[in-house]
This record gives sequence, structure tokens and C-alpha cells, in this order.
Amino acid sequence: MDQCARRLMFLEELEAAWAIAKKDIKIYYLKAPTLMFAILFPFAMFFAFAVGREVPLNTLIPGLVSITVFFSASSIGPSALPLERRIKAYDRLVSAPISPYTVIIGKVLSGAIFGLIIGSLILAASLPIFGMQLSNLLGLLLGLVLASLCFSMLGIMLAMLPRENPGDVMLLLNFIRLPLIFISGIFIKVDALPYWGQAVSAFSPLTYANDLMRLAFEGTSAFSPLLSTAVLVGFSAAFLYVGRRIDMRTRG
Amino acid sequence: MPNAVELSGLTKAYGALLAVDHISFRVPEGEIFGFLGPNGAGKTTTIRMLTGLVTPTEGTAKIFGLDIQNEAKEAKRCMGIVWEESNVYPELSAWENLAFAGEIYHVAKKRRETRAHELLEMFGLLARKEDKVGGFSKGMKRRVAISMALINSPRLLFLDEPTSGLDVQSNMMIRDVIRNENRKGTTVFLTTHNIEEANQMCDRVAIINRGKIVAIDSPENLRKTIKSAQSIEVSFYGTGEPSEGELRMIQSVSRVISSGGKFRLFTDDPPVALEGLWDYARKRGLRIMGVNTLGPTLEEVYVSLTSSAEVGRRS
Ligand SMILES: Nc1ncnc2c1ncn2[C@@H]1O[C@H](COP(=O)(O)OP(=O)(O)OP(=O)(O)O)[C@@H](O)[C@H]1O
Ligand SMILES: [Mg+2]
Repeated sequence: MDQCARRLMFLEELEAAWAIAKKDIKIYYLKAPTLMFAILFPFAMFFAFAVGREVPLNTLIPGLVSITVFFSASSIGPSALPLERRIKAYDRLVSAPISPYTVIIGKVLSGAIFGLIIGSLILAASLPIFGMQLSNLLGLLLGLVLASLCFSMLGIMLAMLPRENPGDVMLLLNFIRLPLIFISGIFIKVDALPYWGQAVSAFSPLTYANDLMRLAFEGTSAFSPLLSTAVLVGFSAAFLYVGRRIDMRTRG
Repeated sequence: MPNAVELSGLTKAYGALLAVDHISFRVPEGEIFGFLGPNGAGKTTTIRMLTGLVTPTEGTAKIFGLDIQNEAKEAKRCMGIVWEESNVYPELSAWENLAFAGEIYHVAKKRRETRAHELLEMFGLLARKEDKVGGFSKGMKRRVAISMALINSPRLLFLDEPTSGLDVQSNMMIRDVIRNENRKGTTVFLTTHNIEEANQMCDRVAIINRGKIVAIDSPENLRKTIKSAQSIEVSFYGTGEPSEGELRMIQSVSRVISSGGKFRLFTDDPPVALEGLWDYARKRGLRIMGVNTLGPTLEEVYVSLTSSAEVGRRS
């Protein structure tokens, strides 16, 4: 195949991925369960665990942004895919002349964009309200974009399980999401955790996303931004791989 | 001409159940091919294998010579698929549904829009194109689903029970569109429980029972397979008096029964018998008042094939 045909094919796949993302955006962003899990949930967590305690704003706000991105980006896959499977519209995606990865990438994009939008809104609101200053724009951009992609991929990976009920996947997702909040330095800094907690936190992508966010606000971070970037990209790739394996295994 | 579909030894096992059991046949390009069989016979499973949704346990399937497993993308590009359920997006408008189908089938924007317009017009949905499909009736949803399958002007169209559960108007409209697309060169592969529909529309039909092909031929030829049941009913007027004995002498006629001024001629080859009958009438100065060929219907063939195969399997 010559260079030109290959580029054309790549463009085609990209366009198809965007078409899938666009459709998900139109259909699922404004559904009540999506909004509840994406926005209400992190806020509830935030007020329950952070407000009223002696936590400095510098820790609080990056944490709030991190968990809203975490919850919103990962919610789209589990609410969209099972419904699509139930009405058999997923079959259309599978039998279309596109790569299975294109389907996954399209879905990841819709989740990631959702995370980005919600995260940016929270950010835009909290900066003036709390009179916060940004000290590292690059950290902010990296943090927002990579976290959105990585957490969206986490949701898609679980949504590849052949379930037709969003609640099933959401349950499993929350089983993973909730514990991660407490060991990823959101409300309690990682270095204040007991030794085992610190060890576990190293395996949570949220730790690195939140570290980038703290870099953005405070200008300091526990890890080098390069390491955090690499870890988030690595997690995303691993989720993609596992998601595709699940998809292949479970299809008739 | 290439074969639009060619399957050899295609098999799907679900545990111990052979949903599709080593089936092999070809569908030449340009044909309307009907796939008939009782519930659970394996029709949908076959289509799901042919469209790359399900991996065969054994055997191969080719679409225009392209292997559906190894050259999936190229093969899928030639197809349009209408599923058993109308799997449209209820939250999107008819127009948006069609646009989406066009996008994932790589149809350029201009072409997509002209085609969507044309299809919605054909299906009488143009006035409702901005409405959400969730509010559409069953028949309207099915029409949207068929339009989505046709958005890429496929060379091969799969339809799984396209007309089941719809009213007469919807069915007629859908059949017209299918015939029309076929006339323009699209090969059609459809499943149905409506035997009359298969009889009218299909160039050839395959009958599948418990995962096995039990017959495959044109509806005409299939009806001939139950030879004894074919007959011609004829009535005369004129001066001469026909006799049973004479009618019995006509070529290919095996038995004659007369009752109520009508004669019933049993034959294994109605066209030949009819010619003989004409000659006979002319020679005897008789005029034929009415003639009726009574055949076994496709339904009789279907019932006999699907029930006998079932008995055969049990023994
Ligand atoms: N995913 C699956 N897992 C297990 N068994 C299955 C699966 N899909 C189909 N089968 C079985 O395979 C057989 C054939 O089913 P299929 O849906 O192909 O029948 P069909 O001819 O389309 O029937 P109908 O006319 O009811 O649509 C049935 O016995 C069915 O139970
Ligand atoms: Mg079926």
C-alpha cells in the first residue's frame, strides 16, 4: 500500500472516531444519570470529606478539579455503551468498515471531552471564587488533558464487559473509583498516608493526575511532571489493551 | 460475475448446540436471495457471521471474494445491514441517524446528504426528518433502519426479517424499495417468515432447518419438488364432449378426475400438460373456458421440508 492510500485510510478512521464521539456527545451528555455521577457525586464527596476540615485551599481546589475530571470522564462509557448494546446499535459499530480501535477511540474521546468541559467549568468557577492563582499552565493543560483521556479509557474498558445495564458497569466502576479517592492525595496528601497507603497510591492514576493539578496551582509537585505524564499515558495504553481484549473475548 | 456471497462449511457452535451446521452455498451478484427457516433455525446467526459480528467456529465466508475474517474492512465496506431489531438511536433525529451511518461507512458529506434526502423521500419520511426517531412508529423506525443500511449504496444488502410485524403499507413500501435497489444492481440477502413474500420477491431461496440447509433453489423449482400435488383444473364449452380417457392421454398427465363439469389433471410438468391440453382442445373443437394451475404452494414445500428434516434428525 502506498503512503497516500495509507494516509487516506487513517483519515477515514479518524473521521469515523469523531463521528462516534459526536453522536455520544449529542445523546449522553445531558442524560440525568450521567450528570448525576459526573457532577453531583464528586461535589458530594468534596463537601463530605474536605469542607470544614483544616485543609488548605491550595490542596482543596486541585483536588476538587481532579475528582470532577475523574468522575465525569469515566462516567460516559459505562452509561453509553450498555444502552447502545441493549438497543443493538453497538452491532452497527462492530459491523461498520472501521477498526475496532476506532470504535474505542471514538468512545474515549466523548468521555474525555466531557471530563475536559466539566473540569474546566469547575476550574473557571473556583479561580475567582477562591481567589486562586495558577502557577503552572503547562501542568494544568497536561493534567486536564491526560487525566480526561486516562479516566475516560478506564470507563470504556469496564464498559467493554458485555452488559446491557449501565448500573452493572457503574457499580463496578464505583468499586474502583471510590477507594482511589482516598489513596490518591486528594484530601490527604500522599506523604501523610501510612506506608502501605503510599505504596498503594503509586498504583493509582489519580495520584499522578492530581499531582499535575497541584503543580498547576501550587507550583510544586511530588513527582516530576514527566513521570506523571508517562504514567498516565501508560495507564491509558494498558486500559485500551485490556478493553480490547475484553471486547474480543466476549464477542460471540 | 463474481459471487456476492460464498460460504463453505460455515459453522457456529454455542456449547454443544450447532446453531449453524456446515452450510455451503453461493449467492451470485444481482440476485434477491431468501433465507427461510423456523424460529431458531440459524438464520440470524448466519447473517451475523456473514457481516463480521460473530466469528465462525469453522468454515469461511466470502463477500465479493473478500474473506470476512481476514479482509473484514474491505468486505464490510460493500455491505448494508438491516438487523432484526430496528437499532436506530431514539435520541437522534431521522436525519442525524442517517448522517451517522454515512459517517461510519465513509460516505463523503455531499454524497451522504443527497442520498439521505433521496432515501427519506422514498420512504415518505422527508417531512419528519428533523423529528427524534424515538417518537416514530415501529414501521417508521424500520424504514429509518433500512435507510441507514442503504446510505452507502451497498453492493450487497442484508435484511433480517425486514417486514415482520409491520402493516401492509409499510411492507409494500419496503418491498418496493428493495426491488428498486435490486434493479439498480444491489444483491439482496433477506430472511423472512413470510413465505409468500419469499415466493414473490426472491430469485432463489434456501431453507434452513436446525442449522442445516435442507433445500436451495428458485421458488418455482422448489414447488415442483412435490410433484404429485401439482394439477391443472380446466373447464370447457363448445359442441364436443371431452372424456376423461382422452385427457388421460395428454403428455405428462398421470391422472384425471372430473367433477362438477371441471376436470382436474394431475401432472409433474404443468407447462407440458398445458400445451397438450391446448392441442387437444383445438383438435376436438372445444373451447377452454377457464384454466387454473394448482400447485403445491411454497408453504407446502416449506412445511414438508422443515418437518421431515426434523424427524430425520431425531432418528
Ligand atoms: N449468543 C448466543 N448464545 C447461545 N446460543 C445462541 C446465541 N445466538 C443464537 N443462539 C442459538 O442459536 C440458534 C439459532 O438462533 P438464530 O437466532 O440464528 O435463529 P433464527 O433462525 O434467526 O430464528 P428466528 O426466526 O427466531 O429469528 C438458536 O437455538 C439460538 O438459541
Ligand atoms: Mg433471527
